[in-house]
Amino acid sequence: MQDTFIELQNVTVDFPIYGSSNRSWRSTLLGRTGGLIRREGARQQRIVVRALESLSFRIEHGDRLGLLGHNGAGKSTLLRVLAGVYEPTAGNVVTKGRLSPLFTAAPGLDLDDTGYENWRSCGMYLGMTREEIRQKIPEMEEFCELGEYLSLPVRTYSAGMMTRLCFALATAIDPDILLLDEGIATGDARFAARAERRMQAMIDRSSILVLASHSDAMIASMCNKAALLEKGRVILMGPVKDVTALYHERAAMQREAAAAAPAPSEAAD
Amino acid sequence: MTPDYAGAFSDIVRGVTNWRVWGQAGWQEIKRRYRRTALGPFWVTLSLGIFATAMGLIWAPLFNADVKTYLPFVTVGMVSWVYVTSTISEGCGTYTGAEGLIKQLNFPYMLLNCTVVWRNMIVFFHNLIIVIAVVVLLSVPVNLNTLLVVPGVLLVAVNGMWITMLLGMLSARFRDIPPLVGNLIQVMMFVTPVFWFANQLGPGRQHIVTFNFLFHVVDIVRSPLLGQAPAALSYAVAIGGAVVGWTVTVMIYARFRRRIAYWL
Repeated sequence: MQDTFIELQNVTVDFPIYGSSNRSWRSTLLGRTGGLIRREGARQQRIVVRALESLSFRIEHGDRLGLLGHNGAGKSTLLRVLAGVYEPTAGNVVTKGRLSPLFTAAPGLDLDDTGYENWRSCGMYLGMTREEIRQKIPEMEEFCELGEYLSLPVRTYSAGMMTRLCFALATAIDPDILLLDEGIATGDARFAARAERRMQAMIDRSSILVLASHSDAMIASMCNKAALLEKGRVILMGPVKDVTALYHERAAMQREAAAAAPAPSEAAD
Repeated sequence: MTPDYAGAFSDIVRGVTNWRVWGQAGWQEIKRRYRRTALGPFWVTLSLGIFATAMGLIWAPLFNADVKTYLPFVTVGMVSWVYVTSTISEGCGTYTGAEGLIKQLNFPYMLLNCTVVWRNMIVFFHNLIIVIAVVVLLSVPVNLNTLLVVPGVLLVAVNGMWITMLLGMLSARFRDIPPLVGNLIQVMMFVTPVFWFANQLGPGRQHIVTFNFLFHVVDIVRSPLLGQAPAALSYAVAIGGAVVGWTVTVMIYARFRRRIAYWL
């Protein structure tokens, strides 16, 4: 566990966009958020979005890295590249250690299955063995407080109950390299405090944490390193304090620029 | 794209050997499909049984065939046909249907192919009930040839795996493939001898059957269930198809496996 690491070498990710007519893309080409949109191919017929551009960095055991940035800056794409969901278009990702991506709390959740059935099937997709899941069930039962409901189809759950079910499973894993998207939400207030403790306990069990968030407060409380992403590039990587300061500075600059320049009139369509 | 054979092989091996996961996933999907129905998966069995019986009774006189030979032939033929072709048509959705998982996790995609093939095999086992009914009621011979159904079913599964990989990739990239495949299967149901006997074509047109891959893979399941030994040619085609199909598919898989997530 001491020698886990992730190393990115010149990682670039391009997304091909299929099935969009050129017309509908005209407005998007002028957009200010998101990756760079280009055209490729002999007749410029292929539309490609550059989501990440030549990223290189290395994180090691003990690192808790926070990814800051606006919508479409590339945070989620970067997390997915680290998770091995997307192989980079160019460059390499070298990883040592077991990856635990937690982008949705329960991948493969099925509404018609019972709580227990979902724990079993989602747990396997999260990389747990049957035996591991069986061992964890008592503590998950205790944490989620769903009682008899666990034997009913999750279709019958309220939104809060669903959150409890998923969260109990998601935080039961023993991660090496934990990749977290901020969307892992929590339920009611009393539950939130317990959820936070449980989340913290899982993070403490991990060797490396990478967390994507818009919230600098969340990153400040959980991370010891941060990276600011903008249009698929890392603008700054370093101590959380410096990165959040730059994040606010640039956000303020953009607000001023937007206020100064008249907003481009939206074409009525 | 530079081919990544190591990655492709590792994906295939890890996927196939992790039978606990695809075994569980296949069962779970069957359970899901028929939740809150009284008959469950036997709905497929029942409708297939009714269909085959009706066809058998009405078409037997049309073809001047004896009901006692024609009805088992159609029934067993349909059960085998459905096993082969539903694996193929469901194979188109292997990756598009698992978009949620593929975009969230890094796992051997081969698990998905195994799930599709296994699920269809489970449905086939349900449908064997009709076959047993027909065998008992119409005294279809049961002999050593019957045992050949085991290699037959397995050969279909081995072919099913490369077909679901290939069609799954094509369908993820080109969304016209699933309706096209659905259409072709419908046409092939009448081109392939399922409702008629191959020898009814006459000696001059046997090539229509001989060159039909589907006929051979269906027949290695059908003939044993009728107490007959399938033709050696059918085994040759099924095995040859598996070898050629797997080779071509692995070459494509090595090149494009890493692009699947981008296509979804």
